[in-house]
Amino acid sequence: MTSVNSDRTTSGKLKYASGIETDTIAAIATPAGKGGIGIVRLSGPEAQNILVKIIGKKITPRYATLASFLDQQGEKLDRGLALFFPAPHSFTGEHVAELHGHGGPVIIDLLLSECLSHGARLAKPGEYSERAYHNNKLDLVQAEAIADLINSASANAARAAARSLSGDFSIQINKVAEEIKNLRVYVEASIDFPEEEIDFLTEGQVSQKAQKIVSELKLLLISSEQGVLLRDGIRLVIAGKPNVGKSSLLNCLVGFDRAIVTAHAGTTRDSLSESITLKGLPITFVDTAGLRTTNDVVELEGIKRTHEEIKKADRIILVRDASIKNRALEEELEELNLIDNSDENKKTNDRSDFFGRLLLVNNKMDLIGENLPTINISGNQSVINISALTGAGVDNLVEEIIQLVGYQQQTVGFSARRRHIESLNGALTALELGISQLNTMAAGELFAEDLKCAHMHCGDILGHMSSDELLGEIFSSFCIGK
Amino acid sequence: MSDQQYYDVIIIGGGHAGTEAALASARTGASTCLISQNIETIGQMSCNPAIGGIGKSHLVKEIDALDGVMAKATDRAGIHFRVLNARKGPAVRATRAQADRQLYKQTIRGFVENQDNLKLFQQTVVDLLIVNGVVKGVKTQLDVIFHANSVVLTTGTFLGGLIHIGMESHTGGRAGDPPSNSLAKRLRELPFRVDRLKTGTPPRIDARSVDFSQLEEQPGDNPRPVMSYLGSIEQHPEQRMCHITYTNADTHDIIRKNLKRSPLFSGKIDGTGPRYCPSIEDKVVRFADRDQHQIFIEPEGLNTQELYPNGISTSLPYDVQIALIRTIKGFENAHITRPGYAIEYDYFDPRDLNFSLETRFIEGLFFAGQINGTTGYEEAAAQGLLAGSNAALKAAGKPLWHPRRDEAYLGVLVDDLVNQGTNEPYRMFTSRAEFRLLLRQDNADARLTQMGRELGLVSNVRWDIFCEKQKKINELTQMLAEFKIIVGTDLANKFNKITDVKISKDSDLLTLLKRPEVNAQHVMKLIDSPDYNLVGEQVEIQIKYQGYIKRQQAEIDKIDRQEQVVLPPELDYLAMEGLSNELREKLAYVKPPTLAKAGRIQGITPAALSLLLIHAKKIRDMS
Ligand SMILES: Nc1nc2c(ncn2[C@@H]2O[C@H](COP(=O)(O)OP(=O)(O)O)[C@@H](O)[C@H]2O)c(=O)[nH]1
Ligand SMILES: [Mg+2]
Repeated sequence: MTSVNSDRTTSGKLKYASGIETDTIAAIATPAGKGGIGIVRLSGPEAQNILVKIIGKKITPRYATLASFLDQQGEKLDRGLALFFPAPHSFTGEHVAELHGHGGPVIIDLLLSECLSHGARLAKPGEYSERAYHNNKLDLVQAEAIADLINSASANAARAAARSLSGDFSIQINKVAEEIKNLRVYVEASIDFPEEEIDFLTEGQVSQKAQKIVSELKLLLISSEQGVLLRDGIRLVIAGKPNVGKSSLLNCLVGFDRAIVTAHAGTTRDSLSESITLKGLPITFVDTAGLRTTNDVVELEGIKRTHEEIKKADRIILVRDASIKNRALEEELEELNLIDNSDENKKTNDRSDFFGRLLLVNNKMDLIGENLPTINISGNQSVINISALTGAGVDNLVEEIIQLVGYQQQTVGFSARRRHIESLNGALTALELGISQLNTMAAGELFAEDLKCAHMHCGDILGHMSSDELLGEIFSSFCIGK
Repeated sequence: MSDQQYYDVIIIGGGHAGTEAALASARTGASTCLISQNIETIGQMSCNPAIGGIGKSHLVKEIDALDGVMAKATDRAGIHFRVLNARKGPAVRATRAQADRQLYKQTIRGFVENQDNLKLFQQTVVDLLIVNGVVKGVKTQLDVIFHANSVVLTTGTFLGGLIHIGMESHTGGRAGDPPSNSLAKRLRELPFRVDRLKTGTPPRIDARSVDFSQLEEQPGDNPRPVMSYLGSIEQHPEQRMCHITYTNADTHDIIRKNLKRSPLFSGKIDGTGPRYCPSIEDKVVRFADRDQHQIFIEPEGLNTQELYPNGISTSLPYDVQIALIRTIKGFENAHITRPGYAIEYDYFDPRDLNFSLETRFIEGLFFAGQINGTTGYEEAAAQGLLAGSNAALKAAGKPLWHPRRDEAYLGVLVDDLVNQGTNEPYRMFTSRAEFRLLLRQDNADARLTQMGRELGLVSNVRWDIFCEKQKKINELTQMLAEFKIIVGTDLANKFNKITDVKISKDSDLLTLLKRPEVNAQHVMKLIDSPDYNLVGEQVEIQIKYQGYIKRQQAEIDKIDRQEQVVLPPELDYLAMEGLSNELREKLAYVKPPTLAKAGRIQGITPAALSLLLIHAKKIRDMS
């Protein structure tokens, strides 16, 4: 039911019956494995306009045109191909524009940021395919595939987001978010419980507090733009039972003795990481404590961290000792607590996500002779045979890693950072507006509105708070109730 | 031989939900019968006689916009009126009234007795007639069969009521109503999920034993607000003073010493009480650093000496109640007329309802009010109106309705209940409404009256007044937009004199009204068209909120689009890959009718919504 409402304006926007959004989205859309080129793809009503702003000219639809990509000051960011596919004859069925650049991940990230500053919104995982499907560009059979894609893409993004938030930065964001929440608890309590004896802040104090948060947000934005947020590229975790040669493999990959290699099981009791550039891709390898059942408190702590690393990893390199008799893969995984083999969990997303990230390595091939193929397939999982001692087969492993990881994975980390910056910016804008409402209009209810908006932007990073949870905070902070 | 009667709609229960339900149903033209255990208790305020307050007066104004009676009755029975949040902006402003209990009840009774198409009948309902999952009517104690197409159950806390005073407890409903056991038993056999809540009341006090000279006075507001859009202060009876006093260290000592005799702290009560309305023993324990707690002393009426000391609900034993009351300033010699008590009761999980308040398991059966886990007259009445109007629509074979979250607090209420359920007595707060700036008490008519008219709920009288008001608002807005003020002219000087604002470039009055220093009274003085005085404030509020409302519009548009995506009931959530187990189960349980409603379920992510959208489209494409 709709009502007449004299306050409401009718929106000039296109209304799609599909329920999806109708704004213009942008993302880095480079196919996996193509290390050299990066593509920024735009889809939506504004795609052409944004393209024109970046390359400074109109181009013929469906023809690749060589162009310079400019930032807002007119400085050249990169030079590459620009393409425009008008609706409905495009991949998504909407206007689609593409910028193909050569400048590497950092430049592509800047190009994406340029598109966002011209009004595009960062695409959600799987959103292009989703739009394509709703515009009847994909058939029914492909719907399942898109559902899968959305799943795995959002899992990737969530991992990258969790990782980019580790350490200092996360502490700072949490602190700001907490301050915003506390201020909101005050303001909302004073609105919903005006008759209670709450020691309310005066309007001056409220705006002072908000001003302080604004300064903190600004600092946070500066440091995140400088790249503090994104410390590492993609993350590969080397895991397995003790003594299978995990540390040896790390050393082999990074080329020097970073991890201590010993013949005693359980030497690596904490996670060690090492970042290197493999064929132009920044990659972090993480060596972990060996997984097994134990009662040793220190070792258990190490194993706990290994599991945490595995959760955050883009790929998991599972090392097994080929010179000894191993149990079947599934049994071993279950024994190491990596998968849950109970029937009800066989189909869960976690499990397929785990297998999707798994890379199997048989180590110590030197001990059983060189006459095995370097890559074999067991089940539908490929296994790479290596010797961390002699270095045999390690080049195959590197090749496989680059294939699997490609450029796409790389950009997931950048998008995560981009998303955080967008959210922080949103929070900042809302707060500044709110403060001006409070100072010039003495409009507490409008300030509350902007504060809520800022809180929601933080929620995009840290998880949202429902109105009921907010009420809960109010009731535990103040003695309320007649 | 049993008697047979035929109606379109039967309403069981004559509380705030039941009366609004019966009146709404009858207003649409459905032949309606309200069956109450006791006609004398129709319209009874079983707790303190106050109507409105933050979030609640918003509901009352919405009921009024749909031509319900709560606001009208409040204007005829209110003995103390206040505007809350007067300085915090119109969106969060609220009206609160203290009513004379008798006058309120009489007024409601009058409305019920004078309503066309509505009959009253005093009997205990003992059974529901259900055939193949469809309700067909009810049976009363005397074996009278009432046939009906829809039945609305509004029986409050009567289910499994257990009253606690100290360690004593006895079964019962509120305010001395006997529990209706056979119907309760019958309902329990149906597949509804039942859970338990608790709430409390303070001891009532005899005004003649109170020393008012010791108390802080709290007068009503001047100018005095009215509750109904059609109300006027001439309708108000004589006004009374309210008072405020405080607990103190002695009060708190007594409470602490006797905690083990409190059923709340000894573990005797297991229902969940409201977080926003803790008992005095709760407050003393949880906020131990506070040396006093405020008590609002509210008169129960013009012709009674009973007072309602709001803020000290308790279930401590009677002797402790006397002791603690007498430590309070002004209450040194107070006589308790009724001891305070805690009551535990059953409610039906509102997630078993549709948005129309029709139950999911029994077609044609509707639930409204406290039975759905809410608290408060206003929350009950609003649900009653919705359930009653839908019961009538159902009987007439018409599509059912409910307002959305961006249209009414009633929409927020229903959506929260049906989507999230509740584990404490649900009360409305403005912070529950994400579109708070739109859902104001000053514009409930603009939001709902036309809708109500289309549903047949709104009388000609109200409709004409409403149309006239909207016309005036539009005319005035137009007039102000065309009223140019040119720098340097006499008019600009006059504007400067009235507002103290010096304009530096040519403008019009509507634009100037956006400025913080300029208000409706200023511009009304300038245009000098007294005809429009009453709508000046409306125009001011609309123009001042315009920017924010535009911003919210984008959000509303998105909900609009998502509301159009129907999620087919055959969607198999449990088999859907890519959702967490918890979310799968929630979705499978709630079975949200549209994508927008799925979006309101806690824990849902944008990715999960995309999945639902794709699966929904897949089913549609296949058929
Ligand atoms: N022969 C042989 N020994 C290896 C190989 N890789 C590791 N080792 C030995 O296996 C032992 C355990 O290796 P380490 O890397 O510490 O295993 P981790 O516990 O998995 O980290 C050491 O004595 C290594 O020298 C290999 O490929 N061939
Ligand atoms: Mg090691």
